[in-house]
Amino acid sequence: MIHLNNVRKFYGALEVIKGVDVTVDDGEFAVFVGPSGCGKSTLLRMIAGLEGIDSGDLVLNGKRINDVPPDKRGIAMVFQSYALYPHMTVAENIGFSLSLKKVAPKEIRRQVEEVAEILQLRELLDRRPGALSGGQRQRVAIGRAIIKKPSLILFDEPLSNLDSALRVQMRAELQRLHRELSATVVYVTHDQVEAMTMADKIVVLNQGTVAQAGPPMELYHRPNNEFVATFIGSPKMNILPVTMTREGSESVHLVGPLGMALTLVDADASLPEGTARLGVRPEHLKVVAPDAAHFAAEVAIVERLGVETYLTVGSIDQPIVVRVEGDVTFRPGDRVPLAADTAACHIFSADGRILRSANAA
Amino acid sequence: MSVAPPGESANRGRADLMAYASLSLISIFCAIPFFWLLIASFDGNAQLFLRWPETWTFANYLRVFTKEDGAKWLFNSLFVVGSATVLVMVLSGLGGYALSRTRAWWKLPFLYAILLIRVLPSTALIVPLYKFLLTLNNAEGALLRPIFGGATRDIMRWTGFIDGYLGLILVLATMQLPLSLWIMKTFFDGLPRDYEEAALMDGATMIQRIRRVLVPLALPGLAASGLFAFMSAWGDFLLPLILLSSPELQTLPLGLFRAFLRINEIDYGLLTALAFIYLVPAVVAFGFARRFLVQTFSGGVKG
Ligand SMILES: Nc1ncnc2c1ncn2[C@@H]1O[C@H](COP(=O)(O)OP(=O)(O)OP(=O)(O)O)[C@@H](O)[C@H]1O
Ligand SMILES: [Mg+2]
Repeated sequence: MIHLNNVRKFYGALEVIKGVDVTVDDGEFAVFVGPSGCGKSTLLRMIAGLEGIDSGDLVLNGKRINDVPPDKRGIAMVFQSYALYPHMTVAENIGFSLSLKKVAPKEIRRQVEEVAEILQLRELLDRRPGALSGGQRQRVAIGRAIIKKPSLILFDEPLSNLDSALRVQMRAELQRLHRELSATVVYVTHDQVEAMTMADKIVVLNQGTVAQAGPPMELYHRPNNEFVATFIGSPKMNILPVTMTREGSESVHLVGPLGMALTLVDADASLPEGTARLGVRPEHLKVVAPDAAHFAAEVAIVERLGVETYLTVGSIDQPIVVRVEGDVTFRPGDRVPLAADTAACHIFSADGRILRSANAA
Repeated sequence: MSVAPPGESANRGRADLMAYASLSLISIFCAIPFFWLLIASFDGNAQLFLRWPETWTFANYLRVFTKEDGAKWLFNSLFVVGSATVLVMVLSGLGGYALSRTRAWWKLPFLYAILLIRVLPSTALIVPLYKFLLTLNNAEGALLRPIFGGATRDIMRWTGFIDGYLGLILVLATMQLPLSLWIMKTFFDGLPRDYEEAALMDGATMIQRIRRVLVPLALPGLAASGLFAFMSAWGDFLLPLILLSSPELQTLPLGLFRAFLRINEIDYGLLTALAFIYLVPAVVAFGFARRFLVQTFSGGVKG
């Protein structure tokens, strides 16, 4: 189990990690995700020991390891560039850490072959990294990590150098490996699809702080704030400025752009009056009959994917994406009546805090 | 290849022919001096003008090594330039690495400042340089003489700053270091830190990181830096001329120069043989380093 307790990092006067608390349980696949520059790599390198920790505690398996040198932490890391040594064969690359420890060559060979078996690298052991494909290099880099039998494996954007087909394949492969090795993994990416598909736990980072941590579906359905709500999910959640007025004791009335008007159930009267932001995912908007519509808007873009179609409606500065099953006959310029699934609506305060989650009524 | 109309391909053929013809002319023009050297050095009666030898002989080469001090000159040149090259490779490897990785504010000013050493003609600085080295040399002599007495001169032949190997080696290395530092700094800039960090995570000590990771990765760059240092120092004539006076310390270019200056008749056979011997190490060095050069200048390390 790895635990970060109020961890901070400064570059000069600039604070890039601003008090992070994260726990990753044994055997868990945790994904740190966030936009570029939010501090994911820095946080990962602090765990690895490649960057110092300015304050807070880093605890691995009950032991504070802030000041333990990188190679004594029992942590392995797979680098984004793979960092395979071009002058060594695949076998030498995988066995490098053992040869540094002066393990007997026979024993190194045995362990390398064991690892190569797991990673299906047997035929490639005598090649140089230069003669491997991207996916194969990736596997060698993983082999170099797992031969150390680490209690924690770190990945920094390991799939970003691969083309999209290979990326899908490696995602599955990484999950298989994770199951087989029952290893604890911390995985950094800026791609929320990678995070959603692989993670047991997602940690969303924003400007050096944890925006929210939890299982993927919890973050998807019950985001803590507008940042997480819009970051998780593709296409993004629609956010619309609205004005709320109380309507009796059990509901509020929302008025928004494009003549939007709808009523939300609010049994415990938790929603304040005034301006707020309505969050609704594309799949929770429906094209309906005109008399059932909450609002109507002009279609700007139609994206047909076959099994589903995305309509972008409204103006350029306030686009709204609507997901429709199957194909549609709409064309750009058509006016469509739309309704939101009121049970699936999120309400955020003007500064982005969650006021009401979906299905929370 | 795409189908081109016959007229166009004929045009291209003619253009290619012209290009090859002019390139051949240029290469012949460039090669003639070397050709002349080679032929004349085996000519029993070599002349100033290119001619086919009437008698082929090794006598010229034999004379270089028997009548003249050719072997000594060759050794001196190889030793001095070789030592300077090794020194440059070590210093530019370490220094280039440091300059590439540091974030110090003086990094760029420093890099441009050292280029000045290279840009300023050494001829212009030869007087202060000589003065400086002479002072050092006198100090060293004053220090050594009480200890070693009569043997001092023999020691100073190796460690002296004037008329000694050490001084010339240091000065030659200094002249070559700026460019080599630039080459190595640029080379290390293109070498991701990930390599070292991966080795660090694998538990490699500083020495192991240098020996097993950095040096093998930097080999192409080091070869380039060493090659430039060797070729440039090998061709240097002025510094040995000024700094060396003892006959037993003379280098090849100096021997060549003095043989040319002899008052009696000029011995073209001897001169060309000497010149050819002088050429060989440069060509060999280029042959060795070519493999690495191609790598260095075609985008750093692959893999
Ligand atoms: N050595 C450094 N000196 C100063 N600032 C740095 C240094 N390294 C990183 N930073 C800053 O720290 C912040 C976090 O950087 P980090 O590399 O962790 O981002 P990231 O989330 O990994 O981004 P990306 O997705 O682009 O890799 C950035 O704003 C970056 O500019
Ligand atoms: Mg990063």
